[in-house]
Amino acid sequence: MAGGTIWKGYIHFADTDVPVKLHTAVKEDRMQFHLLHQRDRVKLHQQMICAYEKVPVSPAEQAKGFELEDGKYILIDPLELEQTEPESSRMIEVHGFVKTGQIDPIFLERVYYLEPDTLSKGYSALVEALKEMKVEGICTWTMRKRSYLGALQASGKLLRLHILRYADEVISVKSLDLQKFPLSEKELQIGSDLINQLTVPFEPQKFENEHQKKLQNLIDKKARGEKIDIPRPRPMKRTAPNKLLQALEASLHKVA
Amino acid sequence: MAVHAIWSGTISFSLVAIPVQLVKAVEPGRVSFHLLHSKDYSPLVRKMFCPEEEVIIPPEEIIRGYEIGPGEYIPIKDEELESLSPERSRTIEIVEFIDMQEVDPIYYDHPYYLVPAKGGEKAYRLLVEVMRRTNKAGLAKFVLHEREYLVAVKSTEGALALITLHYHDEILPYEDIEPAEEKIDAEVQSRLKQSIKEMMGDFNPGKYADDRRKKVMDLLKQKEKEQGQVEAPVVEEAEGAGPPDLIAALEESMRKMKKGMRRVKQHR
Repeated sequence: MAGGTIWKGYIHFADTDVPVKLHTAVKEDRMQFHLLHQRDRVKLHQQMICAYEKVPVSPAEQAKGFELEDGKYILIDPLELEQTEPESSRMIEVHGFVKTGQIDPIFLERVYYLEPDTLSKGYSALVEALKEMKVEGICTWTMRKRSYLGALQASGKLLRLHILRYADEVISVKSLDLQKFPLSEKELQIGSDLINQLTVPFEPQKFENEHQKKLQNLIDKKARGEKIDIPRPRPMKRTAPNKLLQALEASLHKVA
Repeated sequence: MAVHAIWSGTISFSLVAIPVQLVKAVEPGRVSFHLLHSKDYSPLVRKMFCPEEEVIIPPEEIIRGYEIGPGEYIPIKDEELESLSPERSRTIEIVEFIDMQEVDPIYYDHPYYLVPAKGGEKAYRLLVEVMRRTNKAGLAKFVLHEREYLVAVKSTEGALALITLHYHDEILPYEDIEPAEEKIDAEVQSRLKQSIKEMMGDFNPGKYADDRRKKVMDLLKQKEKEQGQVEAPVVEEAEGAGPPDLIAALEESMRKMKKGMRRVKQHR
C-alpha cells in the first residue's frame, strides 16, 4: 500500500487544474541501533553542551546564531526567521515541460505518488498526454513552509512528483579538478566491447539487501552468546597504468 | 576546491581495479545556524550524555547496541559490523552493466562523485569514457557506514557519479491509489497537448532559486546592522586531553558515528 496522504494540492498550468494528494512512494527498512555506554550498557541521549562551560544547556537557554567567522555570530530571533517562510499555497505550478530523460539523476531527490483527489477531472488525460508526448513538467510549490522545485512525471496510470535539487545544491564536476589522460583507441574499443559484453537488462527485483539478513544473523548469534569471527579483508591490487590494456584484453577474453 | 573524501577504496570491473575516493556531489543549500548558549554566546556541541550518571560520555566509551527488549541491548562492535561484508566495504565491484534509460527514476536515492586516487587516473578516465560512449552504467553492491547499498556508477560530464539506489522492496505499491477508469474527453486531451506543446523547453535548473535563502540572508544583513555581532569565549583545549590531533581524531569518529545514527533515524 502507498504511504499515507502527506499533503494536498492542485497541479496548475494554462487552463488546467488537477487536484491531487501526495503519498510517500519509498519506505526504507533498516535496523536501528542505539548508542550505549560500554561499561553499564545504559542508552545514551544526545545533549547540547556549552563548549565553553561544558555543561548541558536546556532549550530555554539556547539562542540561534549565524556564524560569520570563527566564533563571531549574528543573533537571530526564531520568530523573525519564521517571517521569511514562504506563504502557504496549494498550487503546484507547472512552469514548463521537458523531454523525459533530460534531467540528470543527480538532481533527483524524494519522490511522491499523486493520487487523484475526489473531484479530480482530467487526471488521466494528463497522465496520457505526458506519456504520449514523453515529457515531464517542471514545477514549484510550497509545502510545510518550504519551497520546492520538482518534476511531474507519468508512470503507468499514475502521476508522480519528484523533488529536484536547486542548481546551486549540486557540486559541479569542474570543481573536482579532474585531469585529462590520453587513451589509445584500442584501449577504448576493448573497454567498450567489454562493457557491452557485461550488459544485462535492469532487474531491480533480483537485488536483495543481504546485509540486513547478515546483520540479523549476527545479532542472533550474539544473543546466543556465540563468538564472532573477524576475517581479515585483503586489499585489492590496483591495475597499473601500463598494464591497463593487458587487463582489458584478459577481461574481454574471460567474458567473450 | 579541496574535496573531502567520504570513503577511499577500489572500484573494479572484471579484471580492472581502480583506486578511487568517494566525495559528495550535492550540498544542501539551506542557510545553517548554530545553537548558542544565550548566557555567554558559546556555541553548543552535541554530545552523548548518560541520563543516569548525568555525565558526558567520551566516544571511546560508546558502543552500538541493538534493542532486543525494553532496556535490553546486544552490544555490537564496529569490527563485527565490518566483518559482515569485508570486501564490499573496500571495493565497489561492478558485477554488470545496464542501460541507464531502463532505470525508473523512482529508484534513485543519493548521488556522490568518485574521483581517482593516485595511480588510478588512467583507468578512471577509461571507465568514464567507455561508459559515456556506450551510454551504460555499472551496478554494484557497496557498504558505506555499515549499510549496504545497491549503486549505479555512471559517466557524467567527464566524471564518475555513484548513485545509491533503493531496493525493490522499498518501493511502495500504488495500486490502492490508482485512478478509476476514466473516459478521456478527446477535446480536453487535444487542448492539454496543445498547452504542453506551447510550454516545451530545455531543463534549465539555474532558472529556479529558493527565494527563502535570499530572504534569510537579507534578514541577517539587517540584523547585523541593527545589533552587531556577538563573540563566543575562547575555549581552552589544553586540559590534559592529549595532543590536538588526537582530539580531532576523536571528534571525527564521534561525528561519523552520529552521522550514522542520524541516517538511521531519518530512515525510520
